[in-house]
Order: sequence, then C-alpha cells, then structure tokens
Amino acid sequence: MKIKYTITGLDCPNCAAKLASQIESKDGIESAKINFLTEKLTVETTLSEADCRALVEKCAKAFEDGIEIE
Amino acid sequence: MSRFLKFLKKDTVKIAVSLALFALALLFEHLLLDITAFCIYIAAIAVAGWQVFLDAVRGILRRDLLDEKFLMSIASIGAVALGEWSEGAAVMIFFLIGETFEHRAVRKSRSSIRALMDICPDEATVLADGVEQTIDAEDVEEGSVIVIRPGERVPIDCTVLEGSADVDTSSMTGEPLPRSIGAGDELSSGYVVINGLIKARTLRPASESSASRVLRLVETATDNKSKEEAFITRFSRYYTPIVVIAALLMAIVPPIFSLMSINESVYTALTFLVISCPCALVISVPMAFFGGIGGAASRGILYKGGNVFSKLARVETVAFDKTGTITTGEFLISGARPVGVEKEELLKLVASAESVSNHPIARCLKRASAEIEKPDTAEEIAGLGVIAEFSDKTILVGNRALMHKYEISLDGIEEKEGAVYAAKDGELIGVVYISDSIKPEASSAISSLHSIGVRNTVILSGDKKDNVLRVAESVGIDTAYYELTPEDKYKKLQELITASESTMYVGDGINDAPSLARADIGVAMGSVGQDSAIEAADVVIMTDNLSKIYEAVRISRKTVHISWQNIIFALGAKGMILVLGLFGLANMWLAVFADVGVAVLAILNSMRALRYKEKKY
Repeated sequence: MKIKYTITGLDCPNCAAKLASQIESKDGIESAKINFLTEKLTVETTLSEADCRALVEKCAKAFEDGIEIE
Repeated sequence: MSRFLKFLKKDTVKIAVSLALFALALLFEHLLLDITAFCIYIAAIAVAGWQVFLDAVRGILRRDLLDEKFLMSIASIGAVALGEWSEGAAVMIFFLIGETFEHRAVRKSRSSIRALMDICPDEATVLADGVEQTIDAEDVEEGSVIVIRPGERVPIDCTVLEGSADVDTSSMTGEPLPRSIGAGDELSSGYVVINGLIKARTLRPASESSASRVLRLVETATDNKSKEEAFITRFSRYYTPIVVIAALLMAIVPPIFSLMSINESVYTALTFLVISCPCALVISVPMAFFGGIGGAASRGILYKGGNVFSKLARVETVAFDKTGTITTGEFLISGARPVGVEKEELLKLVASAESVSNHPIARCLKRASAEIEKPDTAEEIAGLGVIAEFSDKTILVGNRALMHKYEISLDGIEEKEGAVYAAKDGELIGVVYISDSIKPEASSAISSLHSIGVRNTVILSGDKKDNVLRVAESVGIDTAYYELTPEDKYKKLQELITASESTMYVGDGINDAPSLARADIGVAMGSVGQDSAIEAADVVIMTDNLSKIYEAVRISRKTVHISWQNIIFALGAKGMILVLGLFGLANMWLAVFADVGVAVLAILNSMRALRYKEKKY
C-alpha cells in the first residue's frame, strides 16, 4: 500500500533524506521518500494505515523537534 | 511553564534575547567582570541553542555524528572550553539567525511555487434538476452539468453548453491574451472565466482533467533528479566526512610537531566543523530546479524532470514535424487559376458549393468569398469532393479523381499538390490552390533558436516535396526531408541523433510517440490531453505556440546556470574560509557565515530560476 503524508518542519533536504532512510529501515516499510520542497512523505508499506502512521510519527518525534505529520 | 517554553521556541524571541545577553556579556567582559560575563555568555548560548543541543543529543542517540546540529554544538562548547566565550556564543546565535533566514527563504520559495500551482479548484457547482449545488470537484461525475461564474476557475475539463465569455488561460498555457469562448468550445480545468456565466458538461472526472494532470506532472518532475542534483547528493556523502576527518587531523597533528599550540589547532579544527555542513548546496541546487520547473509550468511548459534540463540546455539540433507543428494544420487559399470566368466568380461558386460541408478543406474554401449562394442540394462524396445543385447550374468541387469521374477535361492543367478543381455544368471553370498555413510565429521562433546556438533546424515531413520546401524556406529551416513514411522519419531522426550532441524532436504527439521517445529531448506541443504523447515526451508544451520552445531552452539554461553558480559559489566560499582557517586567519564568525550565510545567498539566487525575463538573458 502506498500512503502519502504532508510533512512540515524539516530543516533541510539532508535531514529529510536521513529521516526517510530511518523510516525505511523499520520493519513493515518497503520504501520511504521525502520530497523536501513539496513537503510530501510517500511510504510504501505492508502495515495498516493506523500502524504506519504511528510508526512514522514515532520516527519523526525521535528525529527532531517540531516535525508535523498530516 | 509550557507557555514559556513555547515562547522560547520562537526563533525571533530566541534571537532577540540571546543577542541582548550577548551585548550585555561583551560589556561585562570589557569591564573585566569575567565571572559575570562568563555566566551571561552561557545564558546566551542556552537561550539560542537549547533546541540545537536537544537535537544533537537525538542525533547521537541514532548514531548520526555528522549531523549539522551536533557539529554546531561541538563547535560552540569547544570554543567556550578554549576560553573563547564570545565566539562560542556567537556560533550559536549566528547559526540561529542564519537558520531563521534559511527557513524564511525556503518557506517563501515554497509558497511562491505553490501560488503558481494553485490552479486546481477543490469545489464545483453542479446543476442537477434545476438546482445548483456546490460539491467536491472529485465527486462530480463525468457528463454532469456544471456552472462557472465570472472570476471562477474551471474545475473540470468540460464543453460549453450555454453562455459565452472571455477566459484567461494564462496559468495553463502561458498565453497572456484572454480567449473568447462560446457554446461547443472546450474548456480545460485551470482556466479562469473573466466575464459571463457558463454552463458546461464535464468531459472527464476532476482527477483526469488538465489541471490535475499538470500538477501531477510537476510533482513527479521534482522526483526525477537532474545531473547536478545527483552530483550534489554524491558529493555531500563524501564532503562532510572528509572535512570532519580533516578537522580531527587539524586538531591533533600540528601540536605533535609543535607547529601550533593545542589551543590554536583545536580552534581551527572547530572552524572546520562549522564549515563542514553541505546544506547550502543540498538545499539550493534542488531548489533551483524546483523553481525552474515551477516557473516554466506557469508559462505552459512542463518538464518531465530535472534530468531534462541539462540536455535541453545543450540542444544543438532541432527536428520538427510539419503539419500541426510548423503549420497550423488548417488550410488557407494560396492561389486561384480561373478558366473562362472571373476570379471572383470562381471563388464565389466554390465557396457556395462548399458552404454546406464541414470538411477541413471545405471550412477553408467557404471563407473564399463574402458572397455565398445557398445550393438547393449538395452531396459530399467521401474522398472526392462535393456536388452542389443550384436552380440554374450544377457545380462540382473536388480533386482530380472527381473531375475524371464526371469526365471533365483537365487539358493544359498541370497536376499540383493542394489543387482543388471546380466545374460548372460539365466545364472546368478553374483551380483553387490551398495549403497548410504556417504558424505566424514560426519564422521568428526558428530564428530565435538559431540565435541561441542551435546549429541545425530540420523538418521531417511525409508531405510532398514542393510543400515541404516552401514551408522550410519561408520559416528559415536549414534542412528539409520530405515524402517520408513514419518509419523513414524515425530513421532520419536516428541519424540526426547520432550526428549531434543533443537532439530535440518537436511534434504534436499524434502518431509520432516513438520519435518523441527516441530523441534526446522529445517535445510534445498542444497535446496535454494525449496520454501517449505525455508518456513519450520529455517536455510537454500546453499551447501550440512555437516560440515556447525557445523559452523552454532558455529556462533550462538559466536553471542549470544558477545551479552551477551555487555549486561554485558555495564550494568556493567554503574552501576559501577553510584555507583561511588553516592559516589561523578565519574565526568562528566567518565560519558560521560560510555555513548559513552562504546557504541563504544560494537559496535567494535559486529563486531567480522561478522567473523568466522576456528578453535579455
């Protein structure tokens, strides 16, 4: 399943790429891509929608202050 | 407490408070009240950098030691440890100021691109059983009747049923002049109705409509990275570790050989760390391409990805399809040869006979005369022409085959492409020559391409020699190939591609998808509705205006240019400050500028890619 989120509050594309690779390394996530300029996070996952969201939010929280996922 | 924290999270508050503390500390230091000064410096660092420190700790926890915030924290703490209190505070404060500017710049460019892309209304007013209802555009079914009021944007591709209006198509096509539309005309989503109330039937769902397609294309385009972007990503992977290792060596090696005191060497190492973040590049280069893509989209030029830019910027050969690309695909009368009647009479009879037909050639012929006599009956014979019966005469208008069929003598009339023959009561009365009309901007568009370094312009056509040569000559095309089958066209194109560094093929997307795909850059014109064309092309131009090709090349050049300016400027500035640091000439302040200051300048520079200036480059 492909899920798209809007992700705001990231500081730079470097950080965006790092966060994406962190999310990608988690179980149940096949791929995660962040487009820094359009502020879109695209996740391909085998998890349920709610689980995936929880996981993404957890990763973002552990990453930096002030990242919001919608 | 939480409210206080929130207050302290505001960048402007942090900057103001820490700057005030910094000034106070400088004063106390000046008065030789060292302990007080030290405490105030620490307070300034804490206010400016508490979030940076927190993020640095998070970075350590996920074993990411090359994080920008980690490096800044080390630099600040290190400076304080060396007794350079003011420098330690300055690092944090200026980092914060720089970041604030950087975020502003990023936000501003995001929103200006977003404003350009705000072409897709979310809602549509649907008319069902005489009742108007505003619903989500996504929920409007194909074939529904929608109402569009003056000032509103067309939400879904549709055909006008009732009403007429001027529409502003600029956000979709880049054409500045409004277009007048009426019943029967098609409207693309994204157009703005300037005046007049329109009732229209939707042609497809909102998600398949033009504006949604454009948005999707632009969004995915930013995912297709350009050569320059790929370079930066690769580069930054090595750059930061190398600078960090250099910093470590810088700290350790000189003191071993007693070239520097340990204080000096550690200080230099710290400046290295501050400079080591590649953010200026990693933000500004993709941003230039994003700006280029967004700016071009607002002019009706859609790039399929950043990877198209460098090929487009270097284009040497441009091959054009003829019909519908160089010419309008509509016919014009280019000459008439009356036989035994006046020219006006010939044109009047031809126009009258054709007045009932809707064939593309008939549409041109019936404009031949202002005076038209309605025929009593008129019959169209597919592939041949028209037979029109008037009370006092029978008129035949058509090709040679029609004349042969009715045994009309064509003695002394040579065979020529685009000839339409007319006969009255069994006698030839003349020939009207028609031709595909050349787009008015064609010749200036071709010469503008030559003026920016395109070496060879080529026409590839299946049409007859005379026609192709006439068109090529009148628009200033260098080489013309005629009477080509579709396979010949493809082969010719292949030859051109091998012979030149970067070859562009421009077509209307009808029947030439393989050529669009094969060329280094395939440009599909005026065919946003055609899936095969969009699929195969690298650049899609929303209108059929040829001068857009020149614009597309110039926008790509400007964008590539800007990205290299940023690469060279950022690396140059950083490199210079690294070298100055090596000789002990660069202090922390300069290092912080090399990091965030350079980033801000580079981002501002990138934003130029968004704007295209009409004349000068």
